[in-house]
Amino acid sequence: MRKADSSIRIAVTGAGIICSIGSNKDEVWRSICESRAGIGKMSRFPGETFPTDIAAEVGADLGPLMPIAKRETRRMSRSDRLAIIAAHEAVAQADHGANAPLPRGRAIVSTGTSTGGLLEGEEYYFNRLVRGRSRARTSRVLQQPTSAPSDAVARALTLGGGVLSNATACASGGAAIGMAADLLRTRQADAAVAGGSDALCRLTYSGFNVLQAVDDKPCAPFSAGRKGITLGEGAAYLVLERWDDAVARGATILAELRGYGATCDAHHPTAPHEDGRGAEAAMRGAADGQSVDYVNAHGTGTLLNDSAETKAITAALGAGIPVSSSKSYFGHTLGAAGGVEAVITVLALQHQLAPPTLRLERAADDCTLDYIPHTPRPMEMATAVSNTFGFGGSNVSLLFQRVL
Amino acid sequence: MRIPITGLGVVAPGAIGVDRFRELLDSGRTAIAVVDRFDTAGLRAHTAALVRDFKARDFIAPMKMRRMNLLSRYGMAAARLAVDDRGAALPDGAGVALGTSFGPVQTSVEYMQEYVEKGAALASPQLFAESVANAPGSHIAIEHDLRGFNVTMTQRESSALSAAMVAAAQIAKGVAPAALIGGVEEINEMVFSVLDRIGVLAHANGVVDECARPFDRRRNGFSIGEGSAVLVAEAAPSKEPYGYFAGFGVARDTTASISDWGDDAGAVVTAMRAALDDAEIAASDIDAIYASANATLRADRVEARAIRALFGDNPPPVVATKGIFGEYAGAGSLQLAAALLAIRDQTLHKSVGFEEIDEQLGITPTDNRQPTTVNYVLVNSLSAGGGIVCAVLSREAA
Repeated sequence: MRKADSSIRIAVTGAGIICSIGSNKDEVWRSICESRAGIGKMSRFPGETFPTDIAAEVGADLGPLMPIAKRETRRMSRSDRLAIIAAHEAVAQADHGANAPLPRGRAIVSTGTSTGGLLEGEEYYFNRLVRGRSRARTSRVLQQPTSAPSDAVARALTLGGGVLSNATACASGGAAIGMAADLLRTRQADAAVAGGSDALCRLTYSGFNVLQAVDDKPCAPFSAGRKGITLGEGAAYLVLERWDDAVARGATILAELRGYGATCDAHHPTAPHEDGRGAEAAMRGAADGQSVDYVNAHGTGTLLNDSAETKAITAALGAGIPVSSSKSYFGHTLGAAGGVEAVITVLALQHQLAPPTLRLERAADDCTLDYIPHTPRPMEMATAVSNTFGFGGSNVSLLFQRVL
Repeated sequence: MRIPITGLGVVAPGAIGVDRFRELLDSGRTAIAVVDRFDTAGLRAHTAALVRDFKARDFIAPMKMRRMNLLSRYGMAAARLAVDDRGAALPDGAGVALGTSFGPVQTSVEYMQEYVEKGAALASPQLFAESVANAPGSHIAIEHDLRGFNVTMTQRESSALSAAMVAAAQIAKGVAPAALIGGVEEINEMVFSVLDRIGVLAHANGVVDECARPFDRRRNGFSIGEGSAVLVAEAAPSKEPYGYFAGFGVARDTTASISDWGDDAGAVVTAMRAALDDAEIAASDIDAIYASANATLRADRVEARAIRALFGDNPPPVVATKGIFGEYAGAGSLQLAAALLAIRDQTLHKSVGFEEIDEQLGITPTDNRQPTTVNYVLVNSLSAGGGIVCAVLSREAA
């Protein structure tokens, strides 16, 4: 086995995103700059009642955004469609202005998703209750597997290097990016389209409610009055290449993926360890001794996460580091979060502008860091960490570096 | 570098524990039998490889067990057996990488049933917590205090091999000293009936009885299996290894549709060759191929063509294990465990289900248990949808 060559630098040459605050990078960044959140009344499941009714839904009509013919998208889930839209934007950017196109035949797709096409699976399930198993149409449920978004992206964008799907709950998207970088370093692939995708579904919306983890108002990460998460949806991908390959084909390099830390709390099936021990180790692993200028936090808005993450950041990176939660804009996009927030982190480095934490009127007593309230902060950032944690105590941290 | 494998735990259809699993493989019998877990009336298929005589309480404390679905219980039991087999707890910082094809579908179904019957606010939080695919990996990490990376791969038929590839890279990189690697799968009515409806399961058709027949002229689909195998892999072996992870290769068949296999044998060759290159060996070094062959028309055809393209008309012995324990068995981890035992025991296993050669394929899998020299085994996994992952296992460290 070739050992991952750690001297190989990983270039980010493309980024694509769709979430409640925009259907591409430009729209998303404009919303960030204007401190405009995408959180409102949940509309996906009319007639079904839930204990809370707030969500960060993608409002855009996906049809016109799809880069492939309509007949090819008929059998795709909403998660598949979101994934394709974001991945297409990322790959288009990686090709734009370069002397040679991305080596698609040797590009892998690595996707993290929590529930894949479960939204469509639920429809099949309801249909079965009414019609019985011998008559319910199976076309919807075939989209359910969590491998489907990777397969759909690879098929839509003719990427032939391989597909890797992981469902590591809310850490999935970050894990997808980290493992893709490793496969570039071992030369199992020459490029990677890596990120995450998740569409809101009933099981998730109901499930976080029964766990009493959902705020009945738009989430307020790190604030004194925080009561939980706002559920969101979306997809985002990065295009990763070995640095020398990206330079050789004349690609524009957006940022460098410097580090990847992955750990487990080994503590509880759903709750983080209160001391943030796994999160601290993940950040230490990603930073590997380098100084860090900004943290794009996991910052879900739950009592436990924000307190534990604050302790972890303080221990790993010091008490003076600016931190913010982009989930205050677009909610918790679950399996997509690692991808979505990696793209936000790359944009922050490019623009030298740290996104704020919205609705932070007063920080909680157990949240003792500089959380950049209300409005974006222009600041010099050479490096930034993106945190993604999930059920099962999985923690992923990614370290990105600015390219001058 | 090669990654030593120093522990193995198996929860297989008809075989709990490595010794029983070895007996199953050596017996030349199939573990596929009539399904009695749920009603198959009105369906075309009626058989599967179900885990039987599994007593979760033999492996898991009762208080913990209550919180776990069957998927988690299989994984916990296999992990316990693997750690016991190694003989000592794993070193600090060890990771977990599991694969699962369909994961917690049954738990999602049960949750949605409560959603319908009780309402969205009153469904069970316990079911929701177990509805994530990484629940087994999480329970295993808690039980064995494994604080390294923890990831759950869901790449259909290639899930366990994907997990092995990702974990081996972490160990090779030096960020984790060891890992539990494997897969876990559970058969339930939902998955079985949907696969039956789309016509991919082996079935009686008036000419042949229901039977998974890998590479056979009369094959008409696969049987599904369940269970879990977990391996201990570590940078510095704590005991005599079973064998080693020597190389991995990935590729994708761009001709595959969403729920079927394609016909680009070249892509399968690319993945196999990449695994050989990664292992720094030649095709002629391979002593056996533990094939992906699941007895569907297309998957077996594209793999057979690829094997002949890479290895010529006289390939090394081909072992087709899915007639024994089915497709998805441990999400591919049982196939990996069988290949590992072939190296450990220097014995190739008998393929089950094959009777008549398909001249178009030209592959005759092993028809007997064969004691022989086994230095390198190639393990293939081809996914519906086009994903391909191949691995090379070796007998020696170099």
